[in-house]
Amino acid sequence: MAAVLAPELDRARDLTKPSRPTLEPAIRVESLVHQFDEKVVLDSVSLDVAPGSIHALLGPNGAGKTTLLRILSGLLVPRHGNVRVLGRNVDNSREFRGLIGLVPSGDRSFYLRISGLENLVFFARLYGATKRDAVRRAHELLEQVGLEDAAKVRVGFYSHGMQKRLSVARALLADPPILLVDEATHDLDPEGARRVRDLVADAASRRTAVVWATQRLDEIRGLCDGVTLIAEGKVAFLGSVPELMAHAVPRRYLVRLRSSRPVATTAVGALGTIAPSGEPHSGHYLLALREDAVLGDALGALAAGGVDVLTCTEERSEIEQAFLSIAGGRK
Amino acid sequence: MSTFAVPVGRLHALSGELRKVPAFVRRDFLTAWSYRMSFVSDMVNMTGQVVVFYFIGLMIDPDVLPTYGGSDVTYLEFAAVGIAVGVFIQFGLNRVSAAMRGEQLMGTLESVLVTPTTPTTIQLGSVAWDLVYIPLRTAIFLTAVTVAFGLNLSAAGLIPALLVLIVFMPFVWGLGVATAALLLTFKRGAGFVGLGFVALGLMSGVYFPLDLLPGWLAAVAEANPVAHAIEAMRDSLLGDATLASVLPVVLLLIPCSAVSLAFGMGLFRLSVRRERRRGSMGLY
Repeated sequence: MAAVLAPELDRARDLTKPSRPTLEPAIRVESLVHQFDEKVVLDSVSLDVAPGSIHALLGPNGAGKTTLLRILSGLLVPRHGNVRVLGRNVDNSREFRGLIGLVPSGDRSFYLRISGLENLVFFARLYGATKRDAVRRAHELLEQVGLEDAAKVRVGFYSHGMQKRLSVARALLADPPILLVDEATHDLDPEGARRVRDLVADAASRRTAVVWATQRLDEIRGLCDGVTLIAEGKVAFLGSVPELMAHAVPRRYLVRLRSSRPVATTAVGALGTIAPSGEPHSGHYLLALREDAVLGDALGALAAGGVDVLTCTEERSEIEQAFLSIAGGRK
Repeated sequence: MSTFAVPVGRLHALSGELRKVPAFVRRDFLTAWSYRMSFVSDMVNMTGQVVVFYFIGLMIDPDVLPTYGGSDVTYLEFAAVGIAVGVFIQFGLNRVSAAMRGEQLMGTLESVLVTPTTPTTIQLGSVAWDLVYIPLRTAIFLTAVTVAFGLNLSAAGLIPALLVLIVFMPFVWGLGVATAALLLTFKRGAGFVGLGFVALGLMSGVYFPLDLLPGWLAAVAEANPVAHAIEAMRDSLLGDATLASVLPVVLLLIPCSAVSLAFGMGLFRLSVRRERRRGSMGLY
């Protein structure tokens, strides 16, 4: 990607290139504590994010994800703890802010009376780009996020999804070495969400360290390298996505059977229970296994009992189960 | 120590920051242009105000008014210059403080603050369009009044008047930035602006000569930079004052403007720092 930024910001990006040995993670958070008045919202939070990796930040509403992102972006000063980004402490200097691209969670972060193009050009110039480079870069990103046809439309007329994509485009304007994404795919249609994920994955492939706060649990599989699950301000889990999924012990399955319920119930026997799910006589059931039973045995028992199993899916995804298992376990 | 920290001299950083100001001007021009009707209503309001003062002026004996350059002036001439400066102040104060408040309400304040742009540039940039528009508006106002009511304004006084306006502008700006800082901190507080304007207006001689004030209040008014600026403007536009004759006022206004600006900027920086600590920047 062609440089469009002020020279000092280009040098900032150089810090993340492989040719320069990285002695510490791109982001290092140590024993972070923050509270609003008396309410502790982050309690001894620690995590590392390597350059070029995407780190998911999971947690229920109010867990402290947005607060953490605001601290990492320099918008909020933590009460205690250390936060280092590319080897330097987080501060309010313009040099530090040049390292950060932020996709905020809220809807209102653009000038609604001017076009998407003009908004991006404005922000690009705040990152130090010349007008010509700002316009070129804005067009590039509008194309990447699929908004080129709406470039000259006032942002006030953009849908929620379009504003989100514009927000991602803005965060990528300076091709920052650190990208903080807060609920970027929330409320997006599948195509819009996929496009946003691709853009972020592409940024990570250029050694950008990404922190990806999300509620869409399934999207972290295949996208994120590491996961931090925050519950009630504390780190409830820190590890890789497969390690998170290891916490999932699926016990409930949605099955579609070609048989009546009494026959299926008899076939499953002591391995679990069968309950109708959805419309009566539609053949959809919820299979709930007992603690010590495994899915293979239950399916084998159904087949042996003359019950045809047409489909079988987990009631919840593995990640969702892991999330509920860990976050729920703290309550 | 990162090689990133202060990679080039302060001068380069300053010029880099100044290069961002036109982006703010363009943003605000486009935004203002999208509300075309407000331009029209603004001019209509101003015209209405002048018409009112024209009729009030018919009742006022010019002998009670001060003379400028040895010549009598009508009340409309007296008030027109006062109103022009007064509206300039009011507009300046409101717009400067409203700029930050507007960013806060629109939710764009944090988006701007997260960019590598200094708070000073953000403040300057947020009012840059107004620094172009307000003097232009003042000039349009005075020209329109002069043409419509045949006021006897001095063309030779334009340059001294402009000089006074230029050195006076940072004074207004500083007060506006201070107000913006208070609004950023206390969220609601438009009353600060109104209160300040009433205090400044009462003791500035916008609508009436300061001689009419009680002695003690007149003495306080003597220390009001606004009063000096308005009198210098009247001297220039109604009394053919030269650059040399407004120089004492200019020399008085320069330190006042510097103090006001430094105070405003300092307060704004403190306010931003406080909001970062509390995490309430985006709240309103």
